[in-house]
Amino acid sequence: MVKTKTKLATVAVTFLAALTLAGCSNNSKTSSSDSTKVEKVNLSTAYKNKAATNKNATKNGTLKLAIVNNAPFQGITDPILASNSEDAQAFAPGGQNNLFNVDKNYKIIDGGLANQKLDRKAKTATITLRSNAKWSNGSPVTAKDIEYAYEVLGNKESVTQQYSSDYENIVGMAEYHKGTADTISGITFPDGETGKVAVIQFKKMSPSMKFSGNSFIWGTVEPYDYIKDVPIAKLASAKQVRKDPIFVGPYKLDKVVEGESTSWSPNKYYYGKKAQIGHITLNVVSMNNIDKALQSKKYDSVAPSAAGALGGTNYKNLKNLKGYTKVGAPALGYSYFAFNLGHYDTKTGKNVADPNKKMANKNLRQAMMYALNVDQISNKFGNGIKWRANTLLPPVFKKYYNKDAKGYPLNVKKANKLLDEAGYKKRNGSKWRSDPKGKKLVIHFGAMTSSATTEATYQDYLQQWHKVGLNVKYTNGKPMEMNSFYDTLQKPSQNKMDLWLGAWSLSSEPSQSQLYGDTAPFNMGHFATAKNTELINKMNDSSAWNDNTRTKTFKEWQEYMNEQAGVVGEQFNYAWQPVNNRVKGFDISPDNNEFYSNLTLTSSKLK
Amino acid sequence: MWKTILRRILIMIPEVIILSLLVFLLAKAMPGDPFTGSINPKADPAQLHHLMKMNGLYDPWYQQYWNWVVHLFHGDLGNSYQYQEPVTRLIGSRAVNTLWLAVFTTILTYCFALPMGMYAAKHEGKLPDSIIRIYTYVTYCIPFFVILIIGVWIFGYVLGWFPTTGSISATAGPGFSSAASRLYHILLPGILGALFGTVNVVQYLRSEVIDAKRSDYVRTARSKGVPSKDIYRHHIFRNSLLPIAAFAGYSITGLLNGSLFTETVFSYPGMGLLFINSISYRDYTVITALVLIYGILNLLGTLLSDIILSIVDPRIRIE
Repeated sequence: MVKTKTKLATVAVTFLAALTLAGCSNNSKTSSSDSTKVEKVNLSTAYKNKAATNKNATKNGTLKLAIVNNAPFQGITDPILASNSEDAQAFAPGGQNNLFNVDKNYKIIDGGLANQKLDRKAKTATITLRSNAKWSNGSPVTAKDIEYAYEVLGNKESVTQQYSSDYENIVGMAEYHKGTADTISGITFPDGETGKVAVIQFKKMSPSMKFSGNSFIWGTVEPYDYIKDVPIAKLASAKQVRKDPIFVGPYKLDKVVEGESTSWSPNKYYYGKKAQIGHITLNVVSMNNIDKALQSKKYDSVAPSAAGALGGTNYKNLKNLKGYTKVGAPALGYSYFAFNLGHYDTKTGKNVADPNKKMANKNLRQAMMYALNVDQISNKFGNGIKWRANTLLPPVFKKYYNKDAKGYPLNVKKANKLLDEAGYKKRNGSKWRSDPKGKKLVIHFGAMTSSATTEATYQDYLQQWHKVGLNVKYTNGKPMEMNSFYDTLQKPSQNKMDLWLGAWSLSSEPSQSQLYGDTAPFNMGHFATAKNTELINKMNDSSAWNDNTRTKTFKEWQEYMNEQAGVVGEQFNYAWQPVNNRVKGFDISPDNNEFYSNLTLTSSKLK
Repeated sequence: MWKTILRRILIMIPEVIILSLLVFLLAKAMPGDPFTGSINPKADPAQLHHLMKMNGLYDPWYQQYWNWVVHLFHGDLGNSYQYQEPVTRLIGSRAVNTLWLAVFTTILTYCFALPMGMYAAKHEGKLPDSIIRIYTYVTYCIPFFVILIIGVWIFGYVLGWFPTTGSISATAGPGFSSAASRLYHILLPGILGALFGTVNVVQYLRSEVIDAKRSDYVRTARSKGVPSKDIYRHHIFRNSLLPIAAFAGYSITGLLNGSLFTETVFSYPGMGLLFINSISYRDYTVITALVLIYGILNLLGTLLSDIILSIVDPRIRIE
């Protein structure tokens, strides 16, 4: 399962840290056609190395990968209990206990550890393990291992952050989660617990179940026999999870140095394509050091990350690195501007739009977005691997991404017109516009503390808003520390931030209900309209079983969100990385389900 | 003396209680909680609330503090919210790394600094003294993180003589191989730390030796024809170590503090990095445990310094 990062700070920093000030000019030549041409680089997901594999170097060599992080990884191998992407990277050669293979759109396909069959009429998902599925200690993967993942996930003592009420769509899960049932009645084993088939009975079916990363069917297995004696509450600290874990992937763990490195060798019990490289090591390297580490050829590459491990500054420093080839794919994430439009009613569990909110006027929101020159910022600061987001769905979702959506290119003329039309005018000789009722208008912009250059980018945005006469100031007078920022935003109602800049790292299933649904607490701007609810519901109603209908709905929703401007995408980026030219078979596309097995080396030393 | 030590230890008890209470309240007063920002499209806030409740984070502060104290007396410092493992185990593993590096650096520092201090004092006002003084001032003036970055760049990346990340090789075997790998990994940060951390010891020792050189007992020894070498070895050196000994207690307990700069630049998992990360993540259990440990160590450091002083200088007695 492609997992999401959970500490949003990390995401935001990764996303924003690489922005640099150079060229942050205050382009005031504003017209409807003054958006700057963005020179986006075009990276392939695969490095097609034509050199022949060196069998000796491959068999006896070591592939060295860096995990780019400023802190030690946490060391939790269990994907249900881990809550960060660094652990996922550190233990990726073990296959992360993934059940399913996916295609390029993250749609679940046959051929993985298990196949999935959905029966809409019976409301079941039948998961059938392949007959030769084994753990890295040689014991077979059983149907109970599929079910035990749900027990670990739903147990009320579990420390997982991955459980959601969506799993209570499984018959018996709610009772199990409350502790009133010892087992999940809706998961059964036609061939017994040691068999290969598990059937999950749902209360209702969702089209999202066809995709990896959905919130109804969990995508990994747990080694029940190996961990059954450990109480679920203590599983995250157990040696079976930290020191001596077992996996179902192509490599087995030889050694983990707490917080800093892992080393791997081929798993002879792996069901799929056999691992070819003798050893793989993954080491934590800080963001400050990664450029130098790659330039001095200490590593073959960095551990792939769907959200992107390296930023625009790294790209600038490493794009011409001798002996390396760049690969990249659009990242599973984006940065965004959101407006404060209402509050979250804790009694009804719904977001409520408030027409009296400062930012309730659509013209004002649109004008603020047209006033920004994100194209220029991206062009000059993103070094080609970032570009203006034209929607709220990144292009990694090839099928659903609306490439025709225009978004908000710089158009100061239009911004001024929108403000004038809505009655936001300069009155009494003031240089600032007041609201339509003639009252003083001060807009508070929330942003997180980051690098000096990123904070200078915030200044550029403030200047652009000032140019159209909007008095926009930082909330609290300066960028906020991450905890204060989210502590403010996650309150059911707040008036400190009128708009803010944030970032999302996404799941591989693109449903929008958890981010922008009317009941979503993470819809922190409280954007709620009947049309939005209708479109989001339509993404997963019965009509959405038809892929074309679902695609159409997604595209329509993107256009609608752009037009409403309650939340507006800021930037998309490439998840990119350099790969040493001795590595063969390096392909980060989602449908390369045998990523680590496909790797070989063409020489014993880095080129 | 033992009576005094016991009394000092008893006084430490209310100090530690007040310290722990202050630390606990300050940690809780910070905005956010361990789950702030733990949001993604598939996360359920209800589950985050469930975890907050399960961990007692919605309880009144005095109840949380009381629970913490009760657990503390059972030797349980709680579980880290970030790392999901017992705080004692987490701190234990980081403390080992920090101790390795700190002990090595401290030994090297004294190996460099003591001869330099003595030599400079012996040749007071001459060229060697000037060179050593300039060296100490220059190393004192340059920010240590700059030295680390330059050091790792030259000796780690350009010359490739030393490892640039971690505390041990990912492929190191058990036993000697493991110890050798650990030593290899702390060589560069240790040497840099020692070369650029000598100023205090050199300057204290130098000035004490210069003072001692002019004292009556040294003059008497010279007039009696005692060889200069013996005067330095038996009379001056021991007396000149007094101020350094006074700091020894702090130095020993301070070994566990860790060096944030070194740990960051070398991705070296030690106490300094753990402390900073625990604050960023609002990992309350780790923050409170670490500050409490640091507080107790500082109090012990003061006591230890007094004890060491009384041992090395018979004129000083703890009353």
